[in-house]
Amino acid sequence: MSDPIFEVRNLDVSFAGSRGTSRVVRDVDLDVYREETLGIVGESGSGKSMLASALLNAVVEPGTTTGSVTYRPPDGPAVSVLELSEQELRRFRWEEIAMVFQGAMSSFNPVMRIRRHFRETLQDHNRNIEAGLERAESLLESVYLDPDRVLDAYPHELSGGMKQRALIALSLLLEPQVIVMDEPTAALDLLMQRSIVSLLEELQATHDLTIVFITHDLPLLTKLADRLTVMYAFQLIETATVDTILYDAAHPYTRALLSATPDLDVAVDEMHAIDGTKPDPVEAIAGCSYHPRCPLADEQCVRTEPPSTNHSEHHTASCFHHERAPAAVPIRGDDLEEADR
Amino acid sequence: MNWNYFIKRFGQAVLTLAATITLSFVLYHAMPGSPAESLKNVILSQQAASGSGTVDLERLNRMVSMYTNIQPDEPLHVQYYQYIHQIVIEGSLGTSIYENKPVTELIFERVPWSMFISVYALTIGYSLSILIGSVMAYTEKSRFDSVSSSIIIGLNSVPYYIVGLLLIYVLAIQNEFFPYGGRVGSNVAAGFNVTFMQSIIWHAVLPVVSMSMLGLGGALTMRGNAVRVLGEDYLRVATLRGLRRSRIATQYVGRNAILPMYTQFMIGIAGVFSSAVIVEQIFTYPGVGLLMYNAIQTQDYPLLMGSLIIFTTVTVIGIFIADVTYGFVDPRISAGGSDE
Repeated sequence: MSDPIFEVRNLDVSFAGSRGTSRVVRDVDLDVYREETLGIVGESGSGKSMLASALLNAVVEPGTTTGSVTYRPPDGPAVSVLELSEQELRRFRWEEIAMVFQGAMSSFNPVMRIRRHFRETLQDHNRNIEAGLERAESLLESVYLDPDRVLDAYPHELSGGMKQRALIALSLLLEPQVIVMDEPTAALDLLMQRSIVSLLEELQATHDLTIVFITHDLPLLTKLADRLTVMYAFQLIETATVDTILYDAAHPYTRALLSATPDLDVAVDEMHAIDGTKPDPVEAIAGCSYHPRCPLADEQCVRTEPPSTNHSEHHTASCFHHERAPAAVPIRGDDLEEADR
Repeated sequence: MNWNYFIKRFGQAVLTLAATITLSFVLYHAMPGSPAESLKNVILSQQAASGSGTVDLERLNRMVSMYTNIQPDEPLHVQYYQYIHQIVIEGSLGTSIYENKPVTELIFERVPWSMFISVYALTIGYSLSILIGSVMAYTEKSRFDSVSSSIIIGLNSVPYYIVGLLLIYVLAIQNEFFPYGGRVGSNVAAGFNVTFMQSIIWHAVLPVVSMSMLGLGGALTMRGNAVRVLGEDYLRVATLRGLRRSRIATQYVGRNAILPMYTQFMIGIAGVFSSAVIVEQIFTYPGVGLLMYNAIQTQDYPLLMGSLIIFTTVTVIGIFIADVTYGFVDPRISAGGSDE
């Protein structure tokens, strides 16, 4: 589990705007391990999607990406993604890493049949079209779609869930190593979400995929992911395995997020929304980005930015007061789970 | 192709044509002093000029009927039936009073010339506007974008006939680059040869340029469409899919941005025909437009009604083709609509 396929270092994404420069990803270091499912969780506007786009060097204009993103293919030399030429980038995308994102409902060109989307992808990546289309059919079958019907359909003739699954099939067409899912289930109903999640698990096992899954739906991630990383105010504040995050979170924000998660088994008055609002991307945040909302914040937090520290082998968090966090920010049902263990 | 849809559209087109023919019939009757009276005056004055003496009423009615397809001595419904019968079954639009030739003959010998300049004007106008619009969208907010936006808005606010007059003044009168009238040089022999064709093109340049100003406003529409498409999710997915840039530009941005221009283009065909009346008059270009203009001047009612019917027919056919083919261009319309 210590074989990284992606190494992200000092990643910054910023946009020049009329109110000043918005830094929407700030100094992010992240490793993605081969064949794992990494969940990136955070509230909306925390920079998750931008981080994901930066993995493909696909931050939209006029954003600028700095730092380094290194991709290590299973064979061959490492690739510095941010330094690829336009041609190299075109090859890199979808062949090595594919991305399924929020707008999947309108991810297909409305004037073209689904078959043509598959065909042109094969064509532009110089693949054998016949073999590719056969693969497309088996992929569509594996996402429980009728290949003949779907391939001959126009996008508007498919339901949202069908389009989403067709897009997942399309994303696997060129056998990528990594697939980035940016809120792929956001626009779907609960049943469809669950079936797509179990589908992803199957696909991961059969295709040796590395999955980066981005969502604000923490309960969904805990079922799917091996590791979680929590993003707050454009920075990663805690990274650990799912169990560690659930039972041993070190950062007050992670703990607050966990107790803010709606759960049918918990009474409404036991759920806690986090007070205050998240910072503006234009602001330069002094000290810890979470200090205005943190119950543990003191002088040190206001002045200095907490470094990312290792708590155990696969657990890093950026907080000066992580020892005091469990007591100060209790997660509901903590005592129950303690008893269980 | 959905036949119900086709038949429905076809029915609508036929209905519109029938309404136009009826309208022209009503107009004949609404003319001051009824068609018989007014035509009688025209014919009498012509005959007085040629000095052929008196005419009896029956002969006058026959002449009215020959010119207009209306038999003034019959009851109204018989007149209407015969009028429609003449036009639809016999393909006759009456006879021009002034030229004393069948209206259809007069119009159809002029139609190719009008078609020639208007098809070029439309094609050039729309191709340019699609090109400029796309470049503007790609370079959104750049200097090129803002400068050409202002120029196009400026050109759009100046009526095309003013542009035509300016062109004549600058390019034909002040500098004799182009002829300022006619459709072919007077000393050029007609025939299938280079000089003749050059002369035709030479004479068509100014009318075509001033008419294509009409289509150029489409550049702003195209810009708007393309900017909208550039923000679509499928465009982002296409980029992430690593598709070739040329494919994305033509089949994703171009194709989707041109869709709304298609109907506009088809309806534009009709607009160009009617604007031909003014353009051809300015450039004394002998097409259908000038024919109609002269018909107004000489009170040549049959010719006027004939042009009305022909113009409407062209418009209706244009819109019908647009309607029927739109389903092929945009599958979401699926030429049948709501049965999905």
